[in-house]
Amino acid sequence: MGKNNVEIKEKRPLGPRFKRFFKDFKNQWELQSMIIPGLIFMIIFSYIPMYGLLIAFKQYTALDTFSTAPWVGLKNFQIIMTDKFFWEAMVNTVAISLMKLAIGFIAPIILAIMIYELHDGPIKRFMQTISYLPHFLSWIVLGGMLITWFSTTGLLNQTLMAVGLMDNPQNYLLDAGKYWWIATLSDIWKEVGWGTILYLAVMSKIDPTYYEAAKIDGASRLKQIWHITIPSMKYIINLNLILAVSGIFGSNFDQTLVLMNTQNQEKAEVLSTYVYRIGMTQGDFSYATAVGLGMSIVSLILLVGAHKVTKRLNEGQSVL
Amino acid sequence: MKTIKSMFGKGLVLLLAVLMVLTGCSSDSETESAGLKKPDYKVDKETPAWKLDKRKETTTLTWYVNADWWNADFGNDFVTKQIKKDLNIDVKFITGDDTKLNALFSGGDIPDIISLFDANAPIAKKANTWALPLNELADTYDPYFHKVAVKDTLKWHELKDGKTYGYANFSNTQADYDKGVIPATTAFVIRKDVYEAIGKPEMKTPEQFQSAMTKIKEQYPKLIPFGPSEAFGEVLQDYIGVPLETKDGKFYNRNLDKDYLTWLETFNGVYQKGGISDDSFADDNTAMEEKIKSGKYASMLISGIPQKGGALQSFKTNNPGSEYIAVDGPESTVGNAPTLNQSGITGWMMNYITKKSKDPAKATQLFTYLLSEKGQTLVTYGIEGETYTVNADGKYEYKPEIKEMRTKNPDQYKKEYRFGEFFFFGHDKYNLLSEDSTIEATKQMAQWGKGKLVPHFVLEGTNPDQGTPEARSFSAIDTEWQKTVVSMVRAKSDKQFDKELKSYEKFLDENNWNKITELKTKKMEQNREKLGMK
Repeated sequence: MGKNNVEIKEKRPLGPRFKRFFKDFKNQWELQSMIIPGLIFMIIFSYIPMYGLLIAFKQYTALDTFSTAPWVGLKNFQIIMTDKFFWEAMVNTVAISLMKLAIGFIAPIILAIMIYELHDGPIKRFMQTISYLPHFLSWIVLGGMLITWFSTTGLLNQTLMAVGLMDNPQNYLLDAGKYWWIATLSDIWKEVGWGTILYLAVMSKIDPTYYEAAKIDGASRLKQIWHITIPSMKYIINLNLILAVSGIFGSNFDQTLVLMNTQNQEKAEVLSTYVYRIGMTQGDFSYATAVGLGMSIVSLILLVGAHKVTKRLNEGQSVL
Repeated sequence: MKTIKSMFGKGLVLLLAVLMVLTGCSSDSETESAGLKKPDYKVDKETPAWKLDKRKETTTLTWYVNADWWNADFGNDFVTKQIKKDLNIDVKFITGDDTKLNALFSGGDIPDIISLFDANAPIAKKANTWALPLNELADTYDPYFHKVAVKDTLKWHELKDGKTYGYANFSNTQADYDKGVIPATTAFVIRKDVYEAIGKPEMKTPEQFQSAMTKIKEQYPKLIPFGPSEAFGEVLQDYIGVPLETKDGKFYNRNLDKDYLTWLETFNGVYQKGGISDDSFADDNTAMEEKIKSGKYASMLISGIPQKGGALQSFKTNNPGSEYIAVDGPESTVGNAPTLNQSGITGWMMNYITKKSKDPAKATQLFTYLLSEKGQTLVTYGIEGETYTVNADGKYEYKPEIKEMRTKNPDQYKKEYRFGEFFFFGHDKYNLLSEDSTIEATKQMAQWGKGKLVPHFVLEGTNPDQGTPEARSFSAIDTEWQKTVVSMVRAKSDKQFDKELKSYEKFLDENNWNKITELKTKKMEQNREKLGMK
């Protein structure tokens, strides 16, 4: 099959573009038809629902159908512009996500390399298991634990007081200024182990002869990591980066719901909880959809941006 | 995993859209007349129609309940088996959330009966477009309904056209309040051992209160003298009796009441001396209950006592002699009497018979049946002699084997009996017929609250309508207030206390407060009209 294709490509005269397209398609129709179920699924569950975005431009209540709800144009978007809580949520989302991206993206790579460098055996398996564990607890459970740990009588205060670093215990979750760090670090703690799986899988595929050759050439451990391990993972790192960047606005939902309180709300509320609050609990569907649509547009811009950046890093080759 | 999570966050709104589109944007059901078909039986004012309707074939009713957790079983447990037998009906429950309801409406596939959970939702406000008026149903099919339905409740839920479409459960009327049918669920409580150890001081004035808290702090350094965080808003306002409205019946912002602010300052003083823990403001519900269970709070101002009954009882059982008791706590500095709040006249669930109902006669009979004493008793206790007995004090008692099953095997109990769960038309007065339903540890607290309940009916449902700019502002103001009140209690100095208050006042000015006040005043007038106070 592959050979066939190559031959056709070579013979192909330079005709109009669509003619080429159809010819290619005809030659691969068996393969192309396999995409159809997936395509139908996408159309039904991803594209048709986009019609629902119309309510962002309408004054919609639960009793209306899409057609009966009155048009309001860009009014919902105008309200967004003057909504103090929206902008707070926007700043928090971007800040927390960027912090998570900056630290949380690199952390699993480092951890994966560290685990990889361990000798196979019980210690390696033990390290892997305990680093995965927090991932399997939901934020509801973890949030409860964190609330206790950060309380005035909790783990953190007791430790700090025992070593004499502070005199008066304080509740860290009430301190809005610390919330971004709490959100970032607790999320990394929860997910870092899980994030290593993909990298470890890729590393296990690296040809051991590279390392043997490097050793003979006298390369140190660090040099081996730098010149063999990391370059071999480049592709998957790029892919992960793109996925992480596009997911910036969607994250933090359940974490925020548990850790947020009246005192840290201004630094804790993120767009997804904000949309949830106005859409679900206040029944303001149109406004919530408008915010959601705005989020999606910014996500798209970020995704394209990340794609461009990684393409450049990858010597012009696209990951997607 | 991460993708699933982010999809959840982002996709909530989108998901809604999916279902709405899939079920199609077809016809609207607004143009149907309420002309009711005559029944096959002769109606009688004195006899419930389910006894008169002799039709042989079983009627199947579809009943939509707007809650995913609703138990959709019918005809297998004691309660629904009896209903099925008495009324010769079969019920097919459909459960779901707002999305599903919306899909049913836009698809034109409307069930016979609909039960909602929010009387102020837009869909309930427009019930005249999709439901049948209860009065007309009762006149045509079952005049006995008028005997068992509570007039005040019907009147309260009248829509603009002067007709009532939905009947609410757990709706408490002025008469219920006056007769003391319902217990108070708010109280200032203190651990008995602590109270005695500090010499049972009075705690009514700010000075007395502060000194008592200081004493607790000194004698019990491991305890938190006062908590939890829910105390400081409306609960405190009701406890010290901040007026519900201005003298001339206008909306009154209770948050800015002088008397209330004096008490907030007092609590701020208690906080500054270490009498209130910061943890209270970060705790979630579980953490708070855990603290009550272990008696960590020396004293508390709490509402919703029945919900905390389990925790209170657990502490009492494990620490006999130290249990929480209700005593006279903070009192108004200007001589107001307490205005404790309980569930109001709006009630909880709303039950409707729809215009698309295939057999409105049967549906009306079912409403009447469940509202009547027979139905109410059946769903709460079953049948006398079979499942319960009445003891010498007139209190209802389940048969011992049922009681045992309820504590030892609640799942089987739910499956076989389902008492207290089929509460579409429930009312607290039926629950109170039995001693079993009240928790030992909360009895004294309810006793303390006797005569202190004041209906808040006039304020019910006065928030701006959902989806309006005022509703948006109001919700923003409320969020700001939740933050402000905690910041005021936690203020480091009097200056900061005033600053927080000033910033809240400024926020009010910037967010349409005048318009909201006007709107609320107007809605209060409408309420008064419905309550017959005008």
